[in-house]
Amino acid sequence: MEILVCIKQVPDDSVEVSLNQATGKADIEKIAPIVNAFDGYALEMATRFKEAHGGNITVVSVGPDKARDSLRNCCAVGASKAFLVKDEATEGSDTLGTAYTLSKAVAKIEEENGVKFDIIFCGKETTDFTSSQVGPMLAQLLNLPQVTNIVGLEPAEGGLAVKQETEEGYNMIDVATPCVVTVAKPEYDPRYPTMKNKMAARKVVIPDITAADMGADTALMGETAAKVKVAKVYEPAKKEAGVKIKEQTVEETVAKAVGIMLDAKVF
Amino acid sequence: MILVYIETAEGKAKNVGLEMLTAAKIISDKAVAVLIGTGNDEAVKQAASYGADEVITVENAVYSTDAYCYIMKSLVEKYSPEAVFVGSTLDGKDFAPRLAAQLGTGCVTDVVNIKVEDGKAVYTCPSYNGNLLNDMTAEASPVVAIIRSGSFKKADPAEKEVNVIAESIAVPADEIRTKIAETVKEISETVNLEEADVIVSGGRGMGAPENFALVKELADLLGGVVGATRAPIESGWISRAHQIGQSGKIVAPKLYIACGISGATQHVSGMIGSDYIVAINKDEDAPIFDIANVGIVGNVLEVLPLMIEEIKKARA
Amino acid sequence: MAYAIPEENYDLLETVREFAQKEIKEQCKEYDVSGEFPQEIYDQMIEMGLHTLEIPEEYGGMGLDKVTVAALLEQVSIADAGFGTSLAATGLAYKAILISGTEEQKQKYADVLTESGFACFCLTEPMAGSDPGNSKTTAVKDGDEYVINGRKCFITNAGKGGFYVITAMTDKSKGIHGMSAFVVDADTPGLSIGNHENKMGIRCSTTADVVFEDCRIPAENLLGEEGQGYKIAMKTLDLARPYMGCVAVGIAQRAIDESIAYMKERIQFGKPIGKNQGLQFKLADMQIKCETARQMVAHAVSLQDTDKKFSVESSIAKAYAGDAAMECASEAIQIFGGYGYSREYPVEKLLRDAKIFQIFEGTNEIQKIVIANNLLGKF
Repeated sequence: MEILVCIKQVPDDSVEVSLNQATGKADIEKIAPIVNAFDGYALEMATRFKEAHGGNITVVSVGPDKARDSLRNCCAVGASKAFLVKDEATEGSDTLGTAYTLSKAVAKIEEENGVKFDIIFCGKETTDFTSSQVGPMLAQLLNLPQVTNIVGLEPAEGGLAVKQETEEGYNMIDVATPCVVTVAKPEYDPRYPTMKNKMAARKVVIPDITAADMGADTALMGETAAKVKVAKVYEPAKKEAGVKIKEQTVEETVAKAVGIMLDAKVF
Repeated sequence: MILVYIETAEGKAKNVGLEMLTAAKIISDKAVAVLIGTGNDEAVKQAASYGADEVITVENAVYSTDAYCYIMKSLVEKYSPEAVFVGSTLDGKDFAPRLAAQLGTGCVTDVVNIKVEDGKAVYTCPSYNGNLLNDMTAEASPVVAIIRSGSFKKADPAEKEVNVIAESIAVPADEIRTKIAETVKEISETVNLEEADVIVSGGRGMGAPENFALVKELADLLGGVVGATRAPIESGWISRAHQIGQSGKIVAPKLYIACGISGATQHVSGMIGSDYIVAINKDEDAPIFDIANVGIVGNVLEVLPLMIEEIKKARA
Repeated sequence: MAYAIPEENYDLLETVREFAQKEIKEQCKEYDVSGEFPQEIYDQMIEMGLHTLEIPEEYGGMGLDKVTVAALLEQVSIADAGFGTSLAATGLAYKAILISGTEEQKQKYADVLTESGFACFCLTEPMAGSDPGNSKTTAVKDGDEYVINGRKCFITNAGKGGFYVITAMTDKSKGIHGMSAFVVDADTPGLSIGNHENKMGIRCSTTADVVFEDCRIPAENLLGEEGQGYKIAMKTLDLARPYMGCVAVGIAQRAIDESIAYMKERIQFGKPIGKNQGLQFKLADMQIKCETARQMVAHAVSLQDTDKKFSVESSIAKAYAGDAAMECASEAIQIFGGYGYSREYPVEKLLRDAKIFQIFEGTNEIQKIVIANNLLGKF
C-alpha cells in the first residue's frame, strides 16, 4: 500500500514553556525541536504495517528548513521518501489553513510519486497546541473517510480493519481505502533508528515544495486566511503553594493535616 | 443562538454537555441543545433542567463521523447559530473539526474559559501542556468550539418545560463510509473521574499494586473515585480507566488527594483545576508540593492508614 | 569540550545519546544491584547496531572515523560504564582479527559479530596477568586441527561472544615467541564458561572464566603464523587501549554532570553549594582532568590512521583516563556529601565502576613500563 505520514516538528514537550515577555508569544526558540510524539507513533505504526504487508512510506511536513532533520530521521525509521512544504505563505496558518496546505501537498506528492496514497497517517494531536483538528480537517478537504484515535490496523476485504481506542476498550472499524487515520499511543514505543539506517538516510533527497509548486491558493493559507485568531497569549495564574507539614512523628503530621482540611471544610 | 451538542450514554446526558449550557449563556441568550441518537427522553429532560432554551432531537441509530457531520451541518444550515459547542470527548473531537472544515469556519479545541471582550466572544485554550493560555477569537461564523469537561459548572437544575423539536434528517447510506464492526469493553469498571467531587489518586510512590487498596479505602470513605498516574497504569497495577493527566482524563474535583505522586507536568496538567489539593510524598522537594494547598511530607503507606483513622474519628 | 567529530555525524551522536539516556541510564541500576545480565537492553543496543561501529566499510561496517566511534562509545559509557566496557571489549576482539587475519577471516568474523552482538578477547589467565608470557594454555597441532587446553579468566562478554580470540602456547620452549593467536567459534565443543565474577563495579558487563578442554579448532583458525601470538596481542592492545580510556572518560563526565546538577540544587547556609568557590575549584579540576583525558583519547585514536607510532599515546590515554575517572568519581561523592555515599544516589556507583580502568587492558603500572621502554629504548 502507498502510505503517507504527516509529521510536525514541535518543541521538546518535556521542557517547560514560559511566555516571552518581549514578543508576547511562547518562548520556544531555545528548546530542541523533535518529531511530535503522536506522529512518531504514527510512523512506527505505518512502518510495522509496511513490514507486515508491504508498501512504501512517504513523509511530509509543513515547516521551516530545520524540519528537514526530522524528516530525515523518519527516513531512518521506515520512510523511503520525504518532502518539505516550505513557503512563507503558510506562516501563521490556523488548523484549517494547515489542513488546506497539506491537502494540496498530498495531490502534489501523488503526482511526483505517480501513485495515489491508500492510507494517510496523522498523529492524533500535537503536543504544542493539542487541537487534534488537522487530521479530520485534512480528511474532509480530501473527501476521504477518517478513523481517529487508532491503536492498530490490518488490511481487510475492501480496505482496512482499524482498531480505535475507546474509554472502555476499543472499536473495530471497517473502512475503505483511501482513508485518513489519526494515531493514539499504541502498546509499543517507536523504535530507535539503527546506525545503518541513519547513515543510509543521509542520502535521501528531500525536495522543497512551495505553494506555487502545488498550485495552492495562498489566500487560503497563512494569517490572513485564519478563521481563528490568537488575540493574546499569557501564563495561567500560578497556584499558590499552600502549607507543607512535617512534624516529629507521622501521627502528629497527619493530625495537623486533617485538622487543616476539616477547617477548610473539604470533607 | 448557540447549538450545544449534548452527547448521551444510555439515554442520559454526559456531564460535559450539560456544563456547556452554562458556557453558552456567557455569550448568548439562547442555548439550543442537540441530542442525536435513540431513546434520549431522559436526556431531553436533563437538557431542559440545566439551561437549554430549546431542544432539538434527531433520530440516528449509530455513531459515525459522516452521519454526525451531515446531521450537524444540516442543523447549522437551518438554524444559523453563531457557534456550535461540542464536548471534548472522543466522538466530539472526531466529528467537530471535520464539521468546521465542511462549514469552512474555524475550530477551537479544549476550551477552558469563555468571555466577552469588546463585544466579541473570546475562547481560552491551553497550549504546551497547560504552561500557556491562548485567548482566541473567531473570524468566521459559526465557530465550532470543543469544550473541556469540568471547565464550566452545571447550572442548578430546575425543572422546566421547553420546546422540543424533532428534526428528521435522513443521512444517505452512501454518505457513511465507516462502520463499527465490533465494540469491545475491556475495562469492566466504569470510573467516572470527570463527574467526581472527590478524587484520591495513587502514583509510583504507592510502591506496589496491593497498596492501592489504601487509596481505594480513603476514596470510599470520602465518597470519591480512585485516580492514578501513568506509572502504576503502565506497570499494570490499575486499569487506564483511572488515568489522570495529559494522556488520561483532565479533572477538576472539589478535593484531590495525591498519594505518592511526584507532580510531573504530564499529571499536574490533568488536575491543576482542582479546587483543593492535598499531596502526600516522602520527598519534601517533590514538585507536587508547589501546587498543593496542604502538603504532607511522609511515607504514604504510613500516612494513609492514620489519615483514614483521623477522618473516621472526626466524623464520629 | 567534546570530541571534535564531523558535523554530519552529530545526528548519530544525538540518537545514541538519547538511547543511552532513555534506555540504559535508569534501567541499569537494578542490574547493578542484582548482578543479572541486562539482556533486553543489550538486545536493543544490538538492534541499533552499536556493536558494529568498528567494522570497516569493506567488511560491511559503516566506515565511521575513529573519533566518532569514541564519541558514540562515550555516550553509552556516560549512561553505564558496564555497557561501554562490553562494547569496547567486543571491539578489542575484532581488532585482533583485523590486524592479523586473512581477508576471509576478517569478513567471516565481521558477519559473526554483526549477528551475535559480542566477542571476547582471551589473553589473561590465573597465572598470567601482567605477565602474559607465563601462559599455561596450550595449542597442539593434530592433523588439520589444533587442540586447545587451558583456562582463561576475567574475560569480558564470556558466554555471549560469537567468537573468542585466544592466545595459546604452540611451543613452550620459546617463551613469548612460542605463543600463537587463534579464533575459536562460540559453541565449539570443549569450550565452556566457568566461574562468573561477582564484581565491585561495571556489573552490567559479564566477566567469567573461559575453559578449554580438548577443544578442537580447524587449523585455518590460526591468526597470522605460529609464534606471532604475543606480538598480535600487544599490537591489538595498543589499538584498543584508548577505547577503554574512552569508557573511563564517560565515567568522569557522568561524575561531572551529576555534580553540576547537585551543586545547583543543594542548599546549605541559605544558598546552593555551587556558590562556594571551594567546590567550584573542585569542579574545575574535574573538568580539566576529564577534558584532557578525552582529548588524549582522541589524539591516540587519530594517530592510528596515520603511519606514525602510537603505543605511547595509547598507554597515556588509558592510564590517564583511568586515573581521571577515579578522581572525578571520588570528588563527585565528596560533593554529594553524605548522600553521595548512599546507593540511592548515582555517584557511589561511579567509583565502583572506575577502579577497574586502572587495572584491565594492562594495569597502569604496565602502561608506565610501556611508556618508559619507548622513551629509554635499550640501554
